Amino acid sequence: MIFSKLDAATYPFISLASKLVKELEESLGINAILSPESEVLRRSVERIREAAYSRVTSVYKRDLDVEILSHPVALLLIKHINNARLVNVYAEAEKNRVLVSLLKEDYEKLMSLAVDGFNWHVKREEDRFLVRFDDYLKTSVNMLDAYWKLVNRKLVNGYVELPRKDFSRLLAEAYRIRISERANQAEEVQIHSVLKPIIEELDKEFQGILPKVDVYTMYVDKYEPSAFPPCISRLLEEAEQGKNLPHMARFTLATFLISVGKRPEELLDIFRKMPDFDENKTLYHLKHIAGEVGSRTRYSPPSCVTLRTFGLCSADDALCQRVKHPLTYYSKKLKLLKRGELEKRAR
Amino acid sequence: MRKELDNEGFIKKVFREYYVEWRGEPPKDFRRREFAFMISRKGEMIRHKAFEEWSEVKEFLRRNSPLHVYYSSAYYAQPSVPDMDAKEWMGADLIFDIDVDHMYTPCKEQHDKWTCLDCSTAGNGMPPEACPKCSSKRVEAKTWFCEKCLEVAKEETIKLVEDFLIQDFGFSPQEISIVFSGRRGFHIHVESDVVRGLDQRARREIVDYVKGTGLVMQDKKRKVLAPPLNAGGWPGRIAKGVYELLNSNNVEEPLNLKGGPKIEEAIKAIIKGLEEAQDYWPLEGIARRVWLKAVEKVITYKRCEVDERVTTDIKRLIRLPGTLHGGTGLIATKVPLRDMESFDPYLHAVAFVKGEAKVKILNMPRITFLDQTWGPYNNEVAEVPLGLAVYLICSENAVVVGEEVEDA
Repeated sequence: MIFSKLDAATYPFISLASKLVKELEESLGINAILSPESEVLRRSVERIREAAYSRVTSVYKRDLDVEILSHPVALLLIKHINNARLVNVYAEAEKNRVLVSLLKEDYEKLMSLAVDGFNWHVKREEDRFLVRFDDYLKTSVNMLDAYWKLVNRKLVNGYVELPRKDFSRLLAEAYRIRISERANQAEEVQIHSVLKPIIEELDKEFQGILPKVDVYTMYVDKYEPSAFPPCISRLLEEAEQGKNLPHMARFTLATFLISVGKRPEELLDIFRKMPDFDENKTLYHLKHIAGEVGSRTRYSPPSCVTLRTFGLCSADDALCQRVKHPLTYYSKKLKLLKRGELEKRAR
Repeated sequence: MRKELDNEGFIKKVFREYYVEWRGEPPKDFRRREFAFMISRKGEMIRHKAFEEWSEVKEFLRRNSPLHVYYSSAYYAQPSVPDMDAKEWMGADLIFDIDVDHMYTPCKEQHDKWTCLDCSTAGNGMPPEACPKCSSKRVEAKTWFCEKCLEVAKEETIKLVEDFLIQDFGFSPQEISIVFSGRRGFHIHVESDVVRGLDQRARREIVDYVKGTGLVMQDKKRKVLAPPLNAGGWPGRIAKGVYELLNSNNVEEPLNLKGGPKIEEAIKAIIKGLEEAQDYWPLEGIARRVWLKAVEKVITYKRCEVDERVTTDIKRLIRLPGTLHGGTGLIATKVPLRDMESFDPYLHAVAFVKGEAKVKILNMPRITFLDQTWGPYNNEVAEVPLGLAVYLICSENAVVVGEEVEDA
């Protein structure tokens, strides 16, 4: 299939887009593209703001050259703004934009986009797509809903069967992953002097609305059992009943509790009722997990995906659907509880 | 000067004989693999070895006659660099481990024993995680691999290869090798470009798939839909399984349902529905309940019991096919799929088929070895085939008697 310039502006992941970017860079020159009055620069900043404020970007059809160039320039800016949250928000917004367009495309076009953009091995069977399972997995592992688990799909002869809508969603997700990978790639490029003030400005602007937090290294120094996710509450209950928990369950419980501020010594009492309790050994393990002995790395609790694999997930409330990590659940729930209290007091 | 030959010396001697003429085949891209060896029982594992020529591997085995030989499922740019990150991971084969150790088989009550090393409490069957009396984790197990255990391991392996790896994942039989683990199970190696680059998360999805973990039977609105019989993957497997189950004579017990006209009606409705449906169809009321119970049951016997830690580990060391297992003296031999039914480890994986040896056997149930029945033995000296003697000594169920060698 031959793609158009509009395709390249809409789907920056196809090879034509990179080809046009290269050609435009050569013909216009990098200084013109990044000059203070440059339309490309204006549009790139606009893209980022669209993402940050409305969670979806738009397509600027008036000047396709500008639109095509704004993708790599926006990414360049984001890279240097160095706000992990912004990267995610931008990638998500781009995914949302692309998804809207993909849902309108016909079979042939969708197939060409997948092959050209991501080298997927795709076949078509009537109104369904067949995607080779390795291509499927590389993207689907990021989609947390059980609906996307391989076990819940039809897999025949190495190919996963997908209705058209799901195929578009998978494709949009692949694009999201690509953006966040590109944005997180370390690259030692001298920042163009024109960009510096813009980067500083955006950095300041987003600090208030997009706080720089990384949940996985988060250390919530507040112990509030009523905000624990269901999996942790259950494990804690079982430990207190003296049930013999498997290794992974103990690890999950210990890492979680240490992450929310418990000291290894304080946790001894929780594990004391286990049938094979050995105070010295347990304390050593707990200190190891806390990073106080041994390799000095503090371990994070496993993610929801891992917990599910080990049969430790007991997702039974609405908040679980919205998080990928027990610690995220905890911090969200804490906020909800706090808000609830404030509301009560206000009444 | 003459010296008494001890167990370790005996094992070394026979292993050396085995490796003199060893003709094992190299794994794919062996130059990109890390090799590891256990030379003696008490020694440390020698790791981070890499070889440019396959003849060097043979030479190493000949010289050192190791008890255990491993290679990495992973391919590395620098396989001999000790730092795991500096090795530069380039991909890995997909490995499955099916081991009777992790499976319940009723015969274990008869032939497996465990002892707590701290308080000497003992029992039969699968060893507990910790001693029930003193809670010590130092529980030692004496296990045997009987014909029933072997059948379970074979069935599970054939199911994995035929139903999952070939039918669902579409691997060609040439990409799959089944290897007897040397003890109580099988390793399944998949060498395919399709899987090489998959990360841990993707491999976990594959494990969840073969184990049937996370199967959801309800859609977002909690509606239960039954798949058509001709569907692929798990949906079809479930539809066919339920169909077979409900058509069998004894339905009530596996379903844990008390019969009755309403249940029978529901069963008939499901069978009829499955026979007629061309697409997914909804289930309600009692039929929904019966269906969900039946599905739960079907999953338990259609799923495949593999060790998820092995498959999700992308930097795993795995026994090199064709080498000896130091705990049994048996060969970790490749078994073609078509020979699986007739495979007998105590015949086809025996390295030493000629000669006899006199050993003092501490404990051995009745077993068939090299097509002949031996035992049971309890603390007695017996002359048995060399292969069986090696097996018993390696597994610490016997000690050598009377054999002497010239001291070199």
